[in-house]
Parts: sequence; C-alpha cells; structure tokens
Amino acid sequence: MRIITQLMQIPGVIAAGEYAYRGDRYSYEGNISSEQARMASILCRANTLSMNMQVELFSSFAPEDCGCKPLQGWIVRGRDMSVCVVGNIFCFCQNTPGLLNDVMTIMRAKVGDIEENPLVYMYAKIGGDVHEKLY
Amino acid sequence: MSLDRLMQVPGALAAFHYTDKGDLVAHQVKEGTELTPQVLDLLAHTCVANLAVATLEARGWEALTGQTGFEPLQGFSLVGLDWSAVVNGNYGVVVRNRDADYEAAFAALAEFKA
Repeated sequence: MRIITQLMQIPGVIAAGEYAYRGDRYSYEGNISSEQARMASILCRANTLSMNMQVELFSSFAPEDCGCKPLQGWIVRGRDMSVCVVGNIFCFCQNTPGLLNDVMTIMRAKVGDIEENPLVYMYAKIGGDVHEKLY
Repeated sequence: MSLDRLMQVPGALAAFHYTDKGDLVAHQVKEGTELTPQVLDLLAHTCVANLAVATLEARGWEALTGQTGFEPLQGFSLVGLDWSAVVNGNYGVVVRNRDADYEAAFAALAEFKA
C-alpha cells in the first residue's frame, strides 16, 4: 500500500502527499485542494533542502559523525495542526494525542530509518515481550 | 524549571537553553554522545531560523488558504539520522530517534513556555 494511502487511514490525518526533489511533480490525498497541495509540495521541498544544507554545515563542527546527517525530515507543531515531513513525503495532521508519534513512526518506517516492522517498533514502546504480544 | 526536566524526556541526549538569537546559554549532555557545545549552539541557531521561517509560512498559509490551526506555533523539530532536535521558545531537547516521543518532548517544552 502506498504510504500516502496508509497515512490517510489514520484518524486525524488531514492530508498527505509526495513531492519530487526536482521539478514540480506531486501527488496527494486528503482534504486540501490541488493548488494547496502544489504549494505544500514547494514549501516542503524548499524547507527540506535548506535544512539539509544546515545539517551538513553544523555536523562539520562535530569531532566525529554527530548522528544528524543525512537529514530525515522535520516537524512544525502548530496550535491545532502539525506538518510532518520525512524524505519526500509530507503529512498534515491534527494535534490529537498519540497521533504525531504514530505518523512519525509510519513515515520513518517507510522512508526513514526504521528497518524492522513498524508494528514491532510501536509495541516495543509499550515494553514487555513484544514478540509474544504480536505473534 | 531546569534543563533536568528536559533530560527526563524519553530518549533525551541533550537539553539546551538559548537566546532569542540562538546563542547557547546553558546545556546538558548525556555522557557518551558526540554532541558538543558548538554543535548545540549551531543547532540552536538553525532551530531559531527555522522557527521564524515556519511562522512566516504558517501565517502566509493561513492567509492564503483560509485554513486555521497553525498559529501560534508550538514548536519545531529537526529529524536527523540518529536523533531529533525538538525546540520551542528558548529551550530545546535532543532525543534519540529510536526512543523518541515527540509529543512528550513538545509537552515538556510547553511547560517552559507557560
């Protein structure tokens, strides 16, 4: 299943989309117009590229690899809504308790650094025998 | 309130306090991490700059689209490969991605701003 479709199945997610690092191509699902998705894609791409440069700069001051680069993404937490970006995926979600962590876990599992099954990762936060709880 | 409170956030590797311009005022670092005061200082400058940009974008987005709920901003997070920096106001916390609880981090930072 596409990550955008997967994100949209989470209650509280308003819109999710994918943008190209180069060019102006994008796709999205959710409760925003095509023009808004286009603007969101441009905004997210510009911010991501800018932050990539910033991370490159300050990591060069670390004695060794400081663990920050390459950049995975960013979050802007608004009053009632948050914007999450990981890789070239963006997601607009409400600030419902628990939602931000779930969205970030799924996004990092799909395009970020979580290599194992995201369900295992999420259950691991609860503690105890994860394997027994899941299987 | 002290940086000790931020160091209690799940996965916290460092906590820091900075001026409105992003200059590092105080910090705490968990032993064994590669985060130096210089990196934290630059990180704070980055976060201040990105919060300002995010405020501009949120304000513009609300005006252009009529959507509300973004302003005032409650914080910003930079998600790196191994860790994330979560900031709001003049405080920030660096959390290990593997143990990150972003909501807990934003909630802890909101206590400082209140």
